[in-house]
Amino acid sequence: MSAHSSGTREIGKQRTRRRILAKATRLCARNGFSRTRTLEVARAARVSHGSVFVHFRSRDELLSAVVSEMTREITDALHAQVASGASLTHTLAAHLECLAEREQSIRWLLLEIPLLPRGVHAPWLAFQSATSFHIGQAAERDMAAGSIEEMPLHLLFNTWIGLVNHYVINRELFAPNKSALRVHGPVLLEHFSNLISAPASMARRRKGTA
Amino acid sequence: MSDPETGGCVSCGMPMRSDADHALGDRSKDFCAHCSNGDGTMMRYEEVLTRMAEFLQTAQGLDEQVAHDAAKDMLAKMPAWQQR
Repeated sequence: MSAHSSGTREIGKQRTRRRILAKATRLCARNGFSRTRTLEVARAARVSHGSVFVHFRSRDELLSAVVSEMTREITDALHAQVASGASLTHTLAAHLECLAEREQSIRWLLLEIPLLPRGVHAPWLAFQSATSFHIGQAAERDMAAGSIEEMPLHLLFNTWIGLVNHYVINRELFAPNKSALRVHGPVLLEHFSNLISAPASMARRRKGTA
Repeated sequence: MSDPETGGCVSCGMPMRSDADHALGDRSKDFCAHCSNGDGTMMRYEEVLTRMAEFLQTAQGLDEQVAHDAAKDMLAKMPAWQQR
């Protein structure tokens, strides 16, 4: 076999893998992760059912790859948008934007993660970890500058993520058939920024002790 | 250089886009500044694991054992530590 034909075969293999992954990602976004079957993925990608398992050893591995790929895209986008020295507000705005672009998939993950195989948990946690890293870095800078309250990073992160996730999970209550983050994101960001901003909270304390 | 599949640090997975993201600001290093010793060598697995577990506790408030197990799961997928 020539090096050329070997290279061509490898390119074709990678292309098929990407197609399977793209179709699986689309199906997971539409139907949820737990309801996406490998047979459907094979049909959508126009490959044999067996071919799916040439590229992914199991359904768990395929789902894990879908989550890894999707969350890596979000992390990369967040990393790119958050220039060194970005304020917390700018970082949170970038976070909302990244999530809004893939809101449906994120929603399924939030709803289904406890039921999904352990292999899916690692990329999901890695994603949360990367998000908290970017938010934490910006928060530490703003705390040092005195523009936001001093507070434990995990409470700041969990308060933010809890707020955002609540709107994503209950989207049908807040923005039926729309993106909850596109509709409510700006207000959530403004509200959260007001909550943690140092001057406002200091003013509240002064008022409370007056 | 970086993980050819993800473009991130081969040790912890952090995206590396700018020079400053790489160890010693050197783009030829495939691991990030956070996984680097002061002399530009990559930290040992145990150090990276400990730091990542501590980070998960600080940044997300995870339980100590959960953070340790999660860090171990995450590192298991990284090119630098897959053979462990």
